[in-house]
Amino acid sequence: METGASPQQAGDATPPDVHHKIGQLTRQLHDTLHELGLAERLKGTAAELPDVKSRLSYIARLTGEAAEKVLNRVDQAKHQNDQIAAETRRVKAALVKDPVAAVAKGQIMNFLTDFEDANKGIDQHLTEIMMAQDFHDLTGQVIARVVNLATTIEEQLVELLIQTAPSGAVAKPSTGVHKPPLAGPVVDPAKEADVVTSQSQVDDLLASLGF
Amino acid sequence: MAELRFLVVDDFSTMRRIVRNLLKESGFSEADEAEDGVVALQKLRNSNFDFVVTDINMPNMNGFQLLAEIKKDDKLKHIPVLMVTAEARKEDIVTAAQQGAAGYIVKPFTKATLEEKLTHILKKSGLQ
Repeated sequence: METGASPQQAGDATPPDVHHKIGQLTRQLHDTLHELGLAERLKGTAAELPDVKSRLSYIARLTGEAAEKVLNRVDQAKHQNDQIAAETRRVKAALVKDPVAAVAKGQIMNFLTDFEDANKGIDQHLTEIMMAQDFHDLTGQVIARVVNLATTIEEQLVELLIQTAPSGAVAKPSTGVHKPPLAGPVVDPAKEADVVTSQSQVDDLLASLGF
Repeated sequence: MAELRFLVVDDFSTMRRIVRNLLKESGFSEADEAEDGVVALQKLRNSNFDFVVTDINMPNMNGFQLLAEIKKDDKLKHIPVLMVTAEARKEDIVTAAQQGAAGYIVKPFTKATLEEKLTHILKKSGLQ
Protein backbone atom coordinates (compact mmCIF):
# COMPACT_ATOMS: atom_id res chain seq x y z
CA MET A 1 0.00 0.00 0.00
CA GLU A 2 1.38 3.37 -0.95
CA THR A 3 1.44 5.89 1.81
CA GLY A 4 3.78 8.48 0.46
CA ALA A 5 1.48 10.08 -2.12
CA SER A 6 0.97 13.81 -1.66
CA PRO A 7 -2.53 15.28 -1.70
CA GLN A 8 -1.74 16.73 -5.12
CA GLN A 9 -0.78 13.33 -6.49
CA ALA A 10 -3.93 11.84 -5.04
CA GLY A 11 -5.90 14.57 -6.79
CA ASP A 12 -4.35 13.80 -10.14
CA ALA A 13 -5.56 10.23 -9.82
CA THR A 14 -9.16 11.21 -9.08
CA PRO A 15 -11.64 11.31 -11.99
CA PRO A 16 -12.66 14.88 -12.90
CA ASP A 17 -16.40 14.21 -12.45
CA VAL A 18 -15.80 13.35 -8.81
CA HIS A 19 -14.28 16.79 -8.30
CA HIS A 20 -17.20 18.31 -10.11
CA LYS A 21 -19.73 16.51 -7.94
CA ILE A 22 -17.88 17.35 -4.74
CA GLY A 23 -17.65 20.95 -5.92
CA GLN A 24 -21.38 21.06 -6.62
CA LEU A 25 -22.16 19.57 -3.23
CA THR A 26 -19.89 22.02 -1.50
CA ARG A 27 -21.38 24.97 -3.38
CA GLN A 28 -24.92 23.86 -2.48
CA LEU A 29 -24.03 23.44 1.17
CA HIS A 30 -22.17 26.74 1.18
CA ASP A 31 -25.17 28.53 -0.36
CA THR A 32 -27.49 26.93 2.16
CA LEU A 33 -25.33 27.99 5.08
CA HIS A 34 -25.04 31.45 3.58
CA GLU A 35 -28.83 31.71 3.28
CA LEU A 36 -29.07 30.67 6.91
CA GLY A 37 -26.65 33.43 7.83
CA LEU A 38 -24.08 31.02 9.12
CA ALA A 39 -21.38 31.37 6.52
CA GLU A 40 -19.25 33.38 8.92
CA ARG A 41 -19.72 30.99 11.76
CA LEU A 42 -17.64 28.16 10.50
CA LYS A 43 -16.11 26.41 13.44
CA GLY A 44 -13.89 23.43 13.71
CA THR A 45 -15.94 20.76 15.36
CA ALA A 46 -14.58 17.88 13.36
CA ALA A 47 -14.20 15.79 16.47
CA GLU A 48 -17.97 15.65 16.81
CA LEU A 49 -19.73 13.44 14.34
CA PRO A 50 -23.09 12.62 15.92
CA ASP A 51 -25.79 10.82 14.04
CA VAL A 52 -27.57 13.54 12.08
CA LYS A 53 -30.30 11.22 10.90
CA SER A 54 -31.29 10.24 14.42
CA ARG A 55 -31.22 13.88 15.52
CA LEU A 56 -33.51 14.93 12.70
CA SER A 57 -35.78 11.96 13.40
CA TYR A 58 -35.89 13.07 17.01
CA ILE A 59 -37.01 16.55 15.98
CA ALA A 60 -39.69 15.15 13.67
CA ARG A 61 -40.96 12.77 16.34
CA LEU A 62 -41.00 15.36 19.11
CA THR A 63 -42.77 18.04 17.11
CA GLY A 64 -45.27 15.50 15.77
CA GLU A 65 -46.07 14.24 19.24
CA ALA A 66 -46.49 17.79 20.54
CA ALA A 67 -48.88 18.71 17.75
CA GLU A 68 -50.88 15.53 18.29
CA LYS A 69 -51.04 16.11 22.03
CA VAL A 70 -52.27 19.67 21.59
CA LEU A 71 -54.91 18.67 19.06
CA ASN A 72 -56.19 15.89 21.34
CA ARG A 73 -56.42 18.30 24.27
CA VAL A 74 -58.22 20.88 22.15
CA ASP A 75 -60.72 18.22 21.04
CA GLN A 76 -61.40 17.24 24.65
CA ALA A 77 -61.68 20.82 25.91
CA LYS A 78 -64.02 21.79 23.08
CA HIS A 79 -66.20 18.77 23.82
CA GLN A 80 -66.47 19.77 27.49
CA ASN A 81 -67.18 23.34 26.49
CA ASP A 82 -69.94 22.22 24.11
CA GLN A 83 -71.54 20.17 26.89
CA ILE A 84 -71.54 23.12 29.29
CA ALA A 85 -72.95 25.40 26.61
CA ALA A 86 -75.81 22.96 26.00
CA GLU A 87 -76.42 22.62 29.75
CA THR A 88 -76.46 26.40 30.13
CA ARG A 89 -79.12 26.73 27.46
CA ARG A 90 -81.20 23.99 29.12
CA VAL A 91 -81.02 25.52 32.63
CA LYS A 92 -81.70 28.98 31.26
CA ALA A 93 -84.88 27.71 29.62
CA ALA A 94 -85.91 26.01 32.88
CA LEU A 95 -85.35 29.25 34.79
CA VAL A 96 -87.44 31.25 32.35
CA LYS A 97 -90.23 28.71 32.48
CA ASP A 98 -90.42 28.26 36.27
CA PRO A 99 -87.65 29.84 38.39
CA VAL A 100 -88.91 28.46 41.69
CA ALA A 101 -89.15 24.91 40.36
CA ALA A 102 -85.70 25.14 38.77
CA VAL A 103 -84.16 26.03 42.12
CA ALA A 104 -86.31 23.66 44.12
CA LYS A 105 -85.51 20.68 41.90
CA GLY A 106 -81.82 21.33 42.29
CA GLN A 107 -81.27 22.10 38.62
CA ILE A 108 -79.33 25.26 39.41
CA MET A 109 -77.08 23.58 41.95
CA ASN A 110 -76.43 20.63 39.64
CA PHE A 111 -75.55 22.99 36.82
CA LEU A 112 -73.11 24.93 38.99
CA THR A 113 -71.44 21.70 40.08
CA ASP A 114 -71.13 20.51 36.49
CA PHE A 115 -69.81 23.90 35.46
CA GLU A 116 -67.14 23.82 38.14
CA ASP A 117 -66.03 20.31 37.10
CA ALA A 118 -65.86 21.30 33.44
CA ASN A 119 -63.92 24.41 34.33
CA LYS A 120 -61.30 22.32 36.12
CA GLY A 121 -61.09 19.91 33.23
CA ILE A 122 -60.65 22.65 30.64
CA ASP A 123 -58.02 24.29 32.79
CA GLN A 124 -56.10 21.01 32.87
CA HIS A 125 -56.26 20.74 29.09
CA LEU A 126 -54.95 24.27 28.74
CA THR A 127 -52.08 23.47 31.07
CA GLU A 128 -51.22 20.37 29.03
CA ILE A 129 -51.35 22.39 25.83
CA MET A 130 -48.96 24.87 27.35
CA MET A 131 -46.63 22.12 28.52
CA ALA A 132 -46.61 20.49 25.10
CA GLN A 133 -44.84 23.54 23.76
CA ASP A 134 -41.64 22.40 25.44
CA PHE A 135 -40.71 20.70 22.19
CA HIS A 136 -39.62 24.10 20.95
CA ASP A 137 -36.84 24.38 23.45
CA LEU A 138 -35.69 20.78 23.02
CA THR A 139 -35.75 20.71 19.24
CA GLY A 140 -34.15 24.14 19.07
CA GLN A 141 -31.12 22.82 20.83
CA VAL A 142 -30.88 19.79 18.58
CA ILE A 143 -31.31 21.93 15.48
CA ALA A 144 -28.45 24.14 16.62
CA ARG A 145 -26.21 21.08 16.90
CA VAL A 146 -27.22 19.84 13.47
CA VAL A 147 -26.43 23.25 12.00
CA ASN A 148 -23.02 23.11 13.62
CA LEU A 149 -22.49 19.71 12.07
CA ALA A 150 -23.46 20.99 8.64
CA THR A 151 -20.90 23.72 9.11
CA THR A 152 -18.24 21.18 9.90
CA ILE A 153 -19.11 19.05 6.89
CA GLU A 154 -18.87 22.08 4.61
CA GLU A 155 -15.47 22.95 6.01
CA GLN A 156 -14.25 19.41 5.48
CA LEU A 157 -15.58 19.28 1.94
CA VAL A 158 -13.92 22.57 1.05
CA GLU A 159 -10.67 21.30 2.50
CA LEU A 160 -11.03 18.02 0.61
CA LEU A 161 -11.72 19.83 -2.66
CA ILE A 162 -8.71 22.10 -2.26
CA GLN A 163 -6.38 19.26 -1.33
CA THR A 164 -7.44 16.98 -4.17
CA ALA A 165 -7.95 19.51 -6.97
CA PRO A 166 -5.92 18.78 -10.14
CA SER A 167 -3.02 21.11 -10.77
CA GLY A 168 -4.08 24.22 -12.69
CA ALA A 169 -7.74 23.58 -11.94
CA VAL A 170 -9.78 26.75 -11.86
CA ALA A 171 -13.00 26.86 -9.94
CA LYS A 172 -15.93 27.36 -12.28
CA PRO A 173 -18.00 30.40 -11.40
CA SER A 174 -21.43 29.67 -10.04
CA THR A 175 -24.02 29.62 -12.81
CA GLY A 176 -26.44 31.51 -10.62
CA VAL A 177 -28.24 31.31 -7.34
CA HIS A 178 -29.30 27.78 -6.56
CA LYS A 179 -33.07 27.78 -6.46
CA PRO A 180 -34.83 24.54 -5.67
CA PRO A 181 -38.13 23.88 -7.45
CA LEU A 182 -39.99 24.43 -4.19
CA ALA A 183 -38.37 26.67 -1.62
CA GLY A 184 -40.54 25.94 1.41
CA PRO A 185 -41.23 28.46 4.17
CA VAL A 186 -39.51 31.81 3.93
CA VAL A 187 -37.12 31.98 6.87
CA ASP A 188 -35.95 35.54 6.35
CA PRO A 189 -38.11 37.57 3.94
CA ALA A 190 -35.66 40.50 4.05
CA LYS A 191 -33.01 38.36 2.38
CA GLU A 192 -35.23 36.89 -0.31
CA ALA A 193 -36.59 38.70 -3.31
CA ASP A 194 -39.93 38.03 -4.96
CA VAL A 195 -41.63 36.47 -1.98
CA VAL A 196 -44.82 37.48 -0.25
CA THR A 197 -44.92 38.00 3.49
CA SER A 198 -48.63 38.16 4.14
CA GLN A 199 -51.94 36.88 2.84
CA SER A 200 -52.89 40.40 1.76
CA GLN A 201 -49.87 40.44 -0.57
CA VAL A 202 -51.01 37.12 -2.02
CA ASP A 203 -54.48 38.57 -2.59
CA ASP A 204 -53.06 41.72 -4.17
CA LEU A 205 -50.89 39.69 -6.51
CA LEU A 206 -53.80 37.47 -7.54
CA ALA A 207 -56.02 40.53 -8.00
CA SER A 208 -53.41 42.05 -10.30
CA LEU A 209 -53.67 38.87 -12.38
CA GLY A 210 -57.44 39.21 -12.62
CA PHE A 211 -58.39 36.69 -9.93
CA MET B 1 -78.88 20.59 -0.88
CA ALA B 2 -76.40 17.85 -0.03
CA GLU B 3 -73.48 18.72 2.20
CA LEU B 4 -70.30 19.60 0.33
CA ARG B 5 -67.52 17.03 0.43
CA PHE B 6 -63.95 18.18 0.86
CA LEU B 7 -60.63 16.46 0.18
CA VAL B 8 -57.76 17.76 2.28
CA VAL B 9 -54.31 16.98 0.85
CA ASP B 10 -51.16 17.49 2.89
CA ASP B 11 -48.17 15.29 3.73
CA PHE B 12 -48.33 16.38 7.39
CA SER B 13 -51.10 14.59 9.28
CA THR B 14 -51.32 17.39 11.84
CA MET B 15 -51.95 19.91 9.08
CA ARG B 16 -54.65 17.71 7.57
CA ARG B 17 -56.23 17.48 10.98
CA ILE B 18 -56.07 21.23 11.56
CA VAL B 19 -57.66 21.98 8.17
CA ARG B 20 -60.37 19.36 8.73
CA ASN B 21 -61.13 20.82 12.16
CA LEU B 22 -61.32 24.31 10.69
CA LEU B 23 -63.63 23.08 7.94
CA LYS B 24 -65.82 21.41 10.55
CA GLU B 25 -65.98 24.61 12.59
CA SER B 26 -66.97 26.42 9.41
CA GLY B 27 -69.85 24.00 8.91
CA PHE B 28 -68.24 21.51 6.54
CA SER B 29 -67.96 18.18 8.34
CA GLU B 30 -67.82 15.98 5.22
CA ALA B 31 -64.10 15.67 4.53
CA ASP B 32 -61.59 13.02 3.60
CA GLU B 33 -57.83 13.35 3.43
CA ALA B 34 -54.81 12.28 1.39
CA GLU B 35 -51.10 12.45 2.16
CA ASP B 36 -49.94 13.35 -1.35
CA GLY B 37 -51.10 14.05 -4.87
CA VAL B 38 -51.06 10.42 -5.94
CA VAL B 39 -53.40 9.30 -3.18
CA ALA B 40 -55.54 12.40 -3.70
CA LEU B 41 -55.97 11.71 -7.39
CA GLN B 42 -56.99 8.12 -6.68
CA LYS B 43 -59.59 9.29 -4.19
CA LEU B 44 -60.86 11.98 -6.53
CA ARG B 45 -61.31 9.45 -9.33
CA ASN B 46 -62.93 6.83 -7.12
CA SER B 47 -65.30 9.02 -5.17
CA ASN B 48 -67.19 12.29 -5.42
CA PHE B 49 -65.70 15.47 -3.99
CA ASP B 50 -66.84 19.06 -4.32
CA PHE B 51 -63.73 20.87 -3.15
CA VAL B 52 -60.00 20.22 -2.80
CA VAL B 53 -57.74 21.93 -0.26
CA THR B 54 -54.13 21.04 -1.00
CA ASP B 55 -50.60 21.70 0.11
CA ILE B 56 -47.95 22.17 -2.59
CA ASN B 57 -44.70 20.72 -1.27
CA MET B 58 -45.44 17.00 -0.98
CA PRO B 59 -43.64 13.79 -1.96
CA ASN B 60 -44.61 11.62 -4.95
CA MET B 61 -46.89 14.21 -6.54
CA ASN B 62 -46.83 17.82 -5.41
CA GLY B 63 -49.72 20.27 -5.35
CA PHE B 64 -48.92 21.80 -8.73
CA GLN B 65 -48.85 18.38 -10.36
CA LEU B 66 -52.10 17.44 -8.64
CA LEU B 67 -53.70 20.68 -9.82
CA ALA B 68 -52.55 19.99 -13.39
CA GLU B 69 -53.95 16.45 -13.28
CA ILE B 70 -57.28 17.70 -11.96
CA LYS B 71 -57.57 20.42 -14.59
CA LYS B 72 -56.87 18.09 -17.52
CA ASP B 73 -59.41 15.53 -16.33
CA ASP B 74 -62.85 16.28 -17.77
CA LYS B 75 -64.55 14.64 -14.80
CA LEU B 76 -62.55 16.56 -12.21
CA LYS B 77 -61.72 19.93 -13.72
CA HIS B 78 -64.86 21.58 -12.32
CA ILE B 79 -63.69 20.97 -8.72
CA PRO B 80 -62.30 24.14 -7.10
CA VAL B 81 -58.77 23.71 -5.78
CA LEU B 82 -57.56 25.88 -2.92
CA MET B 83 -53.79 25.86 -2.37
CA VAL B 84 -52.76 26.12 1.30
CA THR B 85 -48.98 26.21 1.41
CA ALA B 86 -45.78 27.60 2.90
CA GLU B 87 -44.53 28.38 -0.62
CA ALA B 88 -44.41 32.16 -0.64
CA ARG B 89 -42.57 32.92 -3.86
CA LYS B 90 -44.51 35.15 -6.20
CA GLU B 91 -43.78 32.89 -9.16
CA ASP B 92 -45.42 29.98 -7.33
CA ILE B 93 -48.55 32.04 -6.70
CA VAL B 94 -48.65 33.14 -10.33
CA THR B 95 -48.13 29.54 -11.49
CA ALA B 96 -50.98 28.33 -9.30
CA ALA B 97 -53.29 31.02 -10.67
CA GLN B 98 -52.32 30.26 -14.26
CA GLN B 99 -52.88 26.55 -13.73
CA GLY B 100 -56.41 27.21 -12.52
CA ALA B 101 -56.21 27.24 -8.73
CA ALA B 102 -59.31 28.78 -7.20
CA GLY B 103 -57.38 30.34 -4.34
CA TYR B 104 -54.01 30.53 -2.62
CA ILE B 105 -53.37 30.76 1.12
CA VAL B 106 -49.90 31.11 2.61
CA LYS B 107 -49.11 29.32 5.87
CA PRO B 108 -49.33 30.23 8.66
CA PHE B 109 -52.91 31.28 8.19
CA THR B 110 -55.93 32.08 10.33
CA LYS B 111 -59.35 30.51 10.50
CA ALA B 112 -60.80 33.79 9.25
CA THR B 113 -58.62 33.67 6.13
CA LEU B 114 -59.68 30.12 5.33
CA GLU B 115 -63.36 30.94 5.85
CA GLU B 116 -63.07 34.05 3.71
CA LYS B 117 -61.49 32.15 0.82
CA LEU B 118 -63.95 29.27 1.12
CA THR B 119 -66.92 31.63 1.01
CA HIS B 120 -65.51 33.49 -1.95
CA ILE B 121 -64.68 30.36 -3.93
CA LEU B 122 -67.95 28.59 -3.14
CA LYS B 123 -69.96 31.58 -4.26
CA LYS B 124 -67.87 32.00 -7.39
CA SER B 125 -68.23 28.31 -8.21
CA GLY B 126 -71.98 28.33 -7.61
CA LEU B 127 -71.65 25.78 -4.81
CA GLN B 128 -73.17 28.07 -2.18
